Amino acid sequence: MSEPWSADRRPSLIGRLARLGFTDATRAQRLLADSEADVGDTLIDALGGTADPDLALSGLLMLLERSQEPTELLNALDDDLDVQERLLTVLGVSTALAEHLARHPDHWRVLAGPEALHRPTGRSLRESLLTSVGADPADVAPVAGLTGMDGQVALRVAYRRRLLHLAGRDLTGVAALGEVAAELADLAAAALEAGLAIARAETPEATGCKLAIIGMGKCGGRELNYVSDVDVIFVAEDGLDDAALRAAAKLAAGVMRVCSASTPEGSLWEVDAALRPEGRSGPLVRTLASHRAYYERWAKTWEFQALLKARPVAGDPELGQAYLDAVMPMVWKAAAGESFVEDVQAMRRRVEANVAPAEAERQLKLAPGGLRDVEFSVQLLQLVHGRADDGIRSSNTLEALAELSQGGYVGRDDAAALASAYRFLRRVEHLLQLYRLRRTHLVPDDEEGLRRLGRALGLRTDPIGEFTALWRRHARGVRRIHEKLFYRPLLLAVARLPGEETRLTPEAARARLTALGFNDPAGALRHIEALSSGMSRRAAIQRTLLPVMLGWFADAPDPDAGLLGFRQVSDTLGSTPWYLRLLRDEVTVAERMARLLASSRYLTDLLLRAPEAVTMLGSNAELAPRSYDLLSAEALAAVQRRADDDRRPHESAEEAVGAVRALRRRELLRVGVSDLLGLADVRTVGEALTDIATVTIEAALQTAINKIETERRGPLPTRFAVVAMGRFGGHELGYGSDADVMFVHDPLPGTDERDAQLAAHAVAEELRRLLALPAPDPALMIDPNLRPEGRQGPLVRTLASYAAYYQRWSASWESQALLRADPLIGDPVLAVRFREMIDPIRWPEDGIDETTVRDIRRLKARMEAERLPRGVDPRVHIKLGPGGLSDVEWVAQLLQLQHAHAVPGLRTTRTLAALDAAVQAGLLTVADATALGDAWQLATRLRGAIMLVRGRPSDLLPTDHHRDRTAVTRVLGYSATGAMLEDWRRCARRARAVTERVFYGSVS
Amino acid sequence: MALDRQQEFVLRTLEERDIRFIRLWFTDVLGFLKSVAVAPAELEGAFAEGIGFDGSAIQGFARVYEADMLAKPDPSTFQVLPWRAESPGVARMFCDILMPDGTPSFADPRYVLKRALGKAADLGFTFYTHPEVEFFLLKGQPEDGREPEPVDQGGYFDHTPHSTAHDFRRNAIMMLESMGISVEYSHHEGAPGQQEIDLRYADALTTADNIMTFRLIMKEVALEQGVWASFMPKPFTEYPGSGMHTHMSLFEGDRNAFYEPGAEFQLSKVGRAFIAGLLRHAPEITAVCNQWVNSYKRLWGGVGASAGAGGEAPSYVCWGHNNRSALIRVPMYKPQKGHATRIEFRSLDTACNPYLAFAAILGAGLKGIEQGYELPAGAEDDVWALTSAERRVLGIEPLPQSLDEAIQAMERSELLPEILGEHVYDFFLRNKRAEWEDYRRQVTDYERKRLISVL
Repeated sequence: MSEPWSADRRPSLIGRLARLGFTDATRAQRLLADSEADVGDTLIDALGGTADPDLALSGLLMLLERSQEPTELLNALDDDLDVQERLLTVLGVSTALAEHLARHPDHWRVLAGPEALHRPTGRSLRESLLTSVGADPADVAPVAGLTGMDGQVALRVAYRRRLLHLAGRDLTGVAALGEVAAELADLAAAALEAGLAIARAETPEATGCKLAIIGMGKCGGRELNYVSDVDVIFVAEDGLDDAALRAAAKLAAGVMRVCSASTPEGSLWEVDAALRPEGRSGPLVRTLASHRAYYERWAKTWEFQALLKARPVAGDPELGQAYLDAVMPMVWKAAAGESFVEDVQAMRRRVEANVAPAEAERQLKLAPGGLRDVEFSVQLLQLVHGRADDGIRSSNTLEALAELSQGGYVGRDDAAALASAYRFLRRVEHLLQLYRLRRTHLVPDDEEGLRRLGRALGLRTDPIGEFTALWRRHARGVRRIHEKLFYRPLLLAVARLPGEETRLTPEAARARLTALGFNDPAGALRHIEALSSGMSRRAAIQRTLLPVMLGWFADAPDPDAGLLGFRQVSDTLGSTPWYLRLLRDEVTVAERMARLLASSRYLTDLLLRAPEAVTMLGSNAELAPRSYDLLSAEALAAVQRRADDDRRPHESAEEAVGAVRALRRRELLRVGVSDLLGLADVRTVGEALTDIATVTIEAALQTAINKIETERRGPLPTRFAVVAMGRFGGHELGYGSDADVMFVHDPLPGTDERDAQLAAHAVAEELRRLLALPAPDPALMIDPNLRPEGRQGPLVRTLASYAAYYQRWSASWESQALLRADPLIGDPVLAVRFREMIDPIRWPEDGIDETTVRDIRRLKARMEAERLPRGVDPRVHIKLGPGGLSDVEWVAQLLQLQHAHAVPGLRTTRTLAALDAAVQAGLLTVADATALGDAWQLATRLRGAIMLVRGRPSDLLPTDHHRDRTAVTRVLGYSATGAMLEDWRRCARRARAVTERVFYGSVS
Repeated sequence: MALDRQQEFVLRTLEERDIRFIRLWFTDVLGFLKSVAVAPAELEGAFAEGIGFDGSAIQGFARVYEADMLAKPDPSTFQVLPWRAESPGVARMFCDILMPDGTPSFADPRYVLKRALGKAADLGFTFYTHPEVEFFLLKGQPEDGREPEPVDQGGYFDHTPHSTAHDFRRNAIMMLESMGISVEYSHHEGAPGQQEIDLRYADALTTADNIMTFRLIMKEVALEQGVWASFMPKPFTEYPGSGMHTHMSLFEGDRNAFYEPGAEFQLSKVGRAFIAGLLRHAPEITAVCNQWVNSYKRLWGGVGASAGAGGEAPSYVCWGHNNRSALIRVPMYKPQKGHATRIEFRSLDTACNPYLAFAAILGAGLKGIEQGYELPAGAEDDVWALTSAERRVLGIEPLPQSLDEAIQAMERSELLPEILGEHVYDFFLRNKRAEWEDYRRQVTDYERKRLISVL
């Protein structure tokens, strides 16, 4: 439709409307055209300034249509810009109030005149609502003249009229948020009073029966919303007989019904009496004495916490006060109860877990960073500190926050930021509820709703975008602050800064630390003091960091150890500039360090020996295991540097090995941290730990050779190699595993074999000596006992001697042990020859015969009976118990002995690789291999986690039920210890079944 | 956190009714009731943290690496014990068993059932059961090995005036009702001295708790009357044994998920799949449903003797509409009673651990629903009357014929460890293997009577 331009070239009405912000200008134009009222240009401009011009226009036209004297209203709107602003603003936000105005056109007058700006007292609200139902406010127990539907309707009309008056002030910024919330509570109290008057009129048998209504929750705290359930408790006077009590209960039920019933004028709100003693199953009304008895004997911490907000709001004022006097003194006594610490921790978990409700991202109340977060944080702090300090017990969230800040329990800036976020969220909540006077906490997801919300908050350029940004910013702020709320004041408590702020007392600080799960709060406080006091840059940075780190410590298995470790690292590295920079800039480093220090004794020890290694925590790339080649080059270079200097060979050798061991420490830390953080899987960890051991032994070997050559003043007359055996040979080393090895040498042509043997022996002895030197790092134990003849045999043999031995004497278990032999270290030529020598033994042509198979089975069966430590339940032994590592490995090894000659894939020293090859070759079903592989990997992870947590190895599932087991459970990512044990039992059972079938050949 | 309403109710009732002892009950893996008495003063602590005890002294709780355990009373099970009515009174609560860190113990049969019910709840189902409990009343105290003597010579539905049994049932039912356990029917069963009392439909956890209470009450009432109540599955060679036929159904909210108007026997797809699951897994759960050496004498003892005569113990894995010889019976449908559609599982005996048995039955049925098992054709004939060749043709398998066979079926099961948890599964198997081995060593009266004079 095209509109003609008028003569004076003013744009058409429809274009103007669109420019003014009407979203449906066509409709607006039609409405204006159809209306009998003469809405002038000024008024149209003013409509354009409202949050929702379309809404405001419809509301206004409807009001004018229903009004007896529309002209008077139009004149008032023209003459009095204040009236205009108030009325249009309300109409632009609330359809519910627009509808109310359409039903009661006269009510616009509450927005006019000086009265419109006036804040009513609670008493005047009470009078006005009582009068509306025909009761005399001057009576001690007013009785309504109107009953039934008439009374309910009259009450609702009067209530909405007051609501309109309040909305006019609220939306034009005359009343601040605290004032609005308090007035809503007063209005609710007045409505309860009027409701009680109606109920009295309807319940003649309750005449003379004194009843008090106690407001709880937001009503009690004088911080009510526009629409929410009103929480109450009913108290009757003492000395009532049963009949009178029944009458009182009827009265109370009457009040609830009068307020919540729906009528042509809608309903007020639900009255919720569930906070009463015994909740919904308890009697609705109790006498004062009965309340007192209940709270004295039965009530629990959280109920007293609810009582914090109690306030007499309606009914007999003296009775209400008597109730308060009786109950309040008990409230804080209860907070000293035994379960106090658990209560606090449960609440804290509730705050932090903050289970996301449906539509979480649109939730004002329950979403992370929402109203609930603020309220809970405040209540939690009141709970922790309120029993010692009666100055922080306000029932009103904003007031309580201010008190907590004054008392030093919360940092001043944090309190201010939190209060500002709280006000913002509450304003948004009010606007949402005003729209239709519905109980809602959901931010709309439609454009229209968001636009109205943004404009109502005064955001005009880009209402939707600005509002969304503002909301997210506040939510994020709440989230961040409440994380620190508990921790930051702990620093102030020990700060030696001249007191600009009141701070937490040491007693309060200890109480809080205990509540956070620290076992030694006094010690913790000392560490916090040491870390945060002083004027140094380090102290300044640590002061910023500690509040966050304390939270991480509190979430980990051993908070005390975490804090202590942090102090030790800081003491060592303290003033190193890069360390401070790292801490300041890299959140990841601090978080990972906290996690590591508070869960792993093994890694804490490593880190404390070489604190500079914290640098690697910053990035996943840094934490990835270093390749063998890189490590080897670094280690050999370190050895070479020392070999070249001209000090005594003894000293330089020890120093060289010292350097290599430092490298090992650093690399163990790297691998351990990746493991702890779940960045590396079982295979990767095993390979990496094997590489580290290889490099260490390799460097020690080189050092030993250098030394022996210097001593002998000539090159070694023989080739020398170290053969990795067992888990070492299988590239499956754990943190605490010994390195099983055999030493082999091969005299160079033309040398004296005896001399070569002496030299080789000297090298092996020197290698062992160097690695066994006392040092602070976890020892790398060299175990040469798998060699021919065990302890009785020579430490070093020539290749020829090995060959001769295996040809003549070898038992089946020795061939089996050779399956895991990998000559990883030393002379490469010799390594090749050694392999060539053992291959036919471990992978025999045509497999092994029935007798050998039977021998192997018998040996294993005997070991199952004999090798387990005495008194240990085999089922908790993850290495030797049923379904444990040994079962899986023997299955793999038996298949290798039988089939490796034909299946090249089986010629591996690695257990998992052998299982894969067996599947490929059709020797094992996928299901069987999975069962074996799962058990093996879980057992390996368990062993790793136990070592990381305890710093000591164990092949038993952790048996104590305190820290260790819980910590192992958490490191492995299980929800509960029971779940971890179940998982192990399941894997072990399945693996054992496969072992029975495949290894022992039993048919079930 | 602080005490909840129910816990407070308990504490208040203790005070008001002058109760000086509270028995905390829990059940070992074999289904024996365990009890520890605490004074009211300790109860608050028990609610908060549980009462510590040495788990290694309880059958099946003994994880060697886990001796310390906690018993935490469930306040919703609070009842004053009626047979100690005189003041000061005694009350009881069932307990959940917890690990020292407060997480549930996988060794606790109640937790096993709770987990199974939780799984049903995840699928939207509540599991209701209604057991018909049979047992014998015997004269005097039983002594090892002596032939027991029934209190009367009555038969099925016999009304025996002024008999011990009559008084017994009246007193017993009053006591059950006073403990909040509703009784549907009670009557004299087929064998001399044999009674049957049917409990009202309830959710399976409540029913299991009720069965534990029931067994104790029957023994208490019997003692008061100078007789003995025994839940042994088969005390007499010549009479039928005592079973616990159990009616069951799944509900989705208020709706019976087994009911579908117009379907064959008004039995829904869910109901059919549930039966199919139970049938397919019946052999492997038998060790749990019939856990004693003696249980198999009930299952198989009547076959020869009562073939065709409608003995009550089912020995073959099949189902039938109102067929009392089938393992699972779909009772006659009553119009206007859609919510009453149910199935009856008939192999169970009263000497089972009800928590484990219900968990196993539910788990097998749910498996059928989850995997959409097809229900084989129902058996229309009296299965006992068929020849074994006929049964083979019809694909009707026997249930395990001895504890040994049941153990073997259980060992092959992947479903059962999932339902029971690895710990209970493992303990149960070890314990039952030991029982079988112990039994196998026995030289019986039967052998002596038959052989000593002729060999």
